[in-house]
Amino acid sequence: MATGLTEFLDNFVKSHDNRQLLAFPLAILAVSLAILLVSFVSSGSPVNLGMEFQGGTQISVETADSPAMLEETYSSYPITDARQTGSRIIMQFGVMDNEQQRELEKDVTGRYSNVEIRQVGPIYGHDLQVQAIQAMIISFIGMAIVVFLLFRTLIPSFAVILSAFSDIMIAAAFMKVAGIELSLGTLAALLMLIGYSVDSDILLTNRVIKRRGTIEEKISRAMHTGITMTTTTLAALVVMYIVSTFSYLVIPSFTQITLLSQISIVLIAGLIADMMNTWLLNTGILRWYVLKPEFRGRYNR
Amino acid sequence: MSDKKGLFKNIRVIIFTLILLGSIVAIHPGYTPGEGITTNLNFGLDLEGGSWLQIKLEGALAQVDADDGELVSEMVEPVIGAPIEVTSDNLNMGGSDSAGKSITFTTSAPVSAPQIESLELGTVSVDKLSDAQTQVTISDTSKETMIRAYLSKSLDAEIVPFSTEDGTVYEIRTTVSEQELEALMEKAGGSIVKEEDGTSTYKEGVSSETRDLTRDILNDKLNSLGLKDIPVRTVGEDYILIDFAGIDLATAKEIAEKPGKFEIRIQTTGNETQHVLYGDSIAGVGIPSYHDGQWHTPFTLKEEGARTLQKVALETGAIDNPEEHYLNMYLDDVQIYGAPLSPEAADRLRETPIYSWEASTGTDEAAKAEAEALQIHLRAGALPVNVVLVGSGHVDAGLGAQFKTAAVITGLISLIAVAAVVYFRYKRPEILVPMVGTSISEVIMILGVASIIGWQLDLASIAGIIAAIGTGIDHLIIITDEVLYEGKLPPTKVFASRIGKAFTIILGAASTVIIAMSPLVVMGFGSLKGFAITTIIGVLIGVIIARPVYGVMIKELLHVDESGNGGIIE
Repeated sequence: MATGLTEFLDNFVKSHDNRQLLAFPLAILAVSLAILLVSFVSSGSPVNLGMEFQGGTQISVETADSPAMLEETYSSYPITDARQTGSRIIMQFGVMDNEQQRELEKDVTGRYSNVEIRQVGPIYGHDLQVQAIQAMIISFIGMAIVVFLLFRTLIPSFAVILSAFSDIMIAAAFMKVAGIELSLGTLAALLMLIGYSVDSDILLTNRVIKRRGTIEEKISRAMHTGITMTTTTLAALVVMYIVSTFSYLVIPSFTQITLLSQISIVLIAGLIADMMNTWLLNTGILRWYVLKPEFRGRYNR
Repeated sequence: MSDKKGLFKNIRVIIFTLILLGSIVAIHPGYTPGEGITTNLNFGLDLEGGSWLQIKLEGALAQVDADDGELVSEMVEPVIGAPIEVTSDNLNMGGSDSAGKSITFTTSAPVSAPQIESLELGTVSVDKLSDAQTQVTISDTSKETMIRAYLSKSLDAEIVPFSTEDGTVYEIRTTVSEQELEALMEKAGGSIVKEEDGTSTYKEGVSSETRDLTRDILNDKLNSLGLKDIPVRTVGEDYILIDFAGIDLATAKEIAEKPGKFEIRIQTTGNETQHVLYGDSIAGVGIPSYHDGQWHTPFTLKEEGARTLQKVALETGAIDNPEEHYLNMYLDDVQIYGAPLSPEAADRLRETPIYSWEASTGTDEAAKAEAEALQIHLRAGALPVNVVLVGSGHVDAGLGAQFKTAAVITGLISLIAVAAVVYFRYKRPEILVPMVGTSISEVIMILGVASIIGWQLDLASIAGIIAAIGTGIDHLIIITDEVLYEGKLPPTKVFASRIGKAFTIILGAASTVIIAMSPLVVMGFGSLKGFAITTIIGVLIGVIIARPVYGVMIKELLHVDESGNGGIIE
């Protein structure tokens, strides 16, 4: 699979000019930004905020009852949602006062087994939101500084940073479209993406700028290594997603691990975007840059 | 260096092997019949079962300024019911201590000293100048005392001033918004002080000392309930996190909210004692200080508490014979302090109830520690600041165990998937084995570090380990492809430079991961902090210890292979 994909991408890169290479990823980036912008304007936030960032209570229990039955049972509480994931039902509640909260917790723990409760107050949720935004921005800037220090040239560094930025935006837009909420887990995934996505970009830029050889050869060799890297990571993530999400269908005693399931699906989306961004967007910009006439083929021999 | 013996002379390999073995010892895996697999690893609550509470401390910090005259007017006028006129004021004299400072005012209304004394501003002297004019002088006072008393009265809260390089910061131990505080200070002819750059010095939250004190009180309280292993941690600036392993959420809340029972009793005859008051009669507890050759813990009583103490002291005869009638303090029925009334206090109690008390503990270092412990004990049940529950969680033990198994199995299957891709790509077992081996040893080392530093592994840290291993595999692929640039092993000299080149890329990539994760380590996020720390530890172990050894290993193995001494290719 990796080899086939590498050959396809390699041929695609060789047979298209830089402008053509950029068109597709930039279009996807534009669509993603549009999705996030529309969401931001209509709901005040680019992605759907999960319970942790909004405040509320999430209770998951093991039960044979249907979600509708649970919604009925707890209709006297501010229940907003009840959905089934395997043998478990996850219920979402709005903000409650202490008394009501405690009553609900007592009731649930008394009635069901294998209970998981997570409650976040609206104040803390808001604090987390602010921290999440800060963390994203600081991480991104930190990454950009490291990249710039590594290459010390404006355009190649910019290409890497743009490609990482695009990965995150596409992954975030994917979350919005697929209805995945921003939780601490998915936030972790987006931050992980900053680290993962630059791996192959750094490899590409390093090989093209700091090695001898024809530009075509350097790109296709970098691609060979880079695609192997991304596909191994993807393979691990796909397995992780499947096991953490669906394993209970095969082995009933297993349970869904929502955190791992969310992290893996967001990373999968981000890494697929990363393949496109590294080998079309970043490659396109880099190839245009190193073949600029003023370098007189310095990077192409 | 080309034979297998040489491999074990390589310093990197030796270090790697030692650390790997050390990690295994640290993890200490074992099997006990009936208990299953045992290790030294600590698991977080989401894998072990239990509950946690996260609380926020309410308060505000600000530097404020006010006009002395207006401050005094604001406080005194409602008490005496008449306007006053400040005639002399030297509070703004240098230094923040109260020595030699006083403020004097005159008023037309009749004034008694206790009226003004109840405001707790300083030493009061009242002179009747004429029938229509009384002069009042408050000495041994300072601007700080005035502002503190003013804010304390207006907000009905404890105010703790502390000096910093920039001036006195007042910690207001209740919720007050910037607007409310500004309005209050305006009434006293002042305002919230601005920083040089124009931003306000107002800040929501409490000082780190207060946060740590609150944590210690909670710790003390939970431990006094016989719950030794409840870690109380501070998270970020204003949050405290309490973990209750194996305790369900409802019980955890009861434990945390149940105040300790503090009681003061007085000795009657012999060893007999009589109840005086409970902890709910204590209005506030101050910070221990050293003066008059002794350590003291100050505390104040509420109105009815002070009156009861006076009444009991009169009834039992403690006033006439303090030495025979010790005042004893108990926390949850265990005596924590006992001392007689001081002669001065006994004398004053004859006339009037006393609100502000000090418990002296002695002169030495041990006395200091005792004074500090007393400060915590006096507060048992009464935290220095209001707290609000901002988050909580609960995982059943059974569910935690399921998570643990599922996470381990997910990890294993993911590793097999990675191995399959690597094999598919290189089709050479002598690449596959060291690659997978390096990854596994990286996991072992991360777990080893975790068990040495006592790190709690939760689901988020497991995600961190997976992230570290994921980038690890990427880096091993970079090394492999770099080494085999022409499809076969290059001569040793070229090999060294190739490895160097691979490490340029790897170090660049690793530093971006570490930089990207570091904000999470610094910020207060509960579980994400664990994620970031494990990722960083994992990346560091990989880059510094494991990956260089992979470079050496693969050279040896491929060398053996290419000289035809072994290695089977399908």
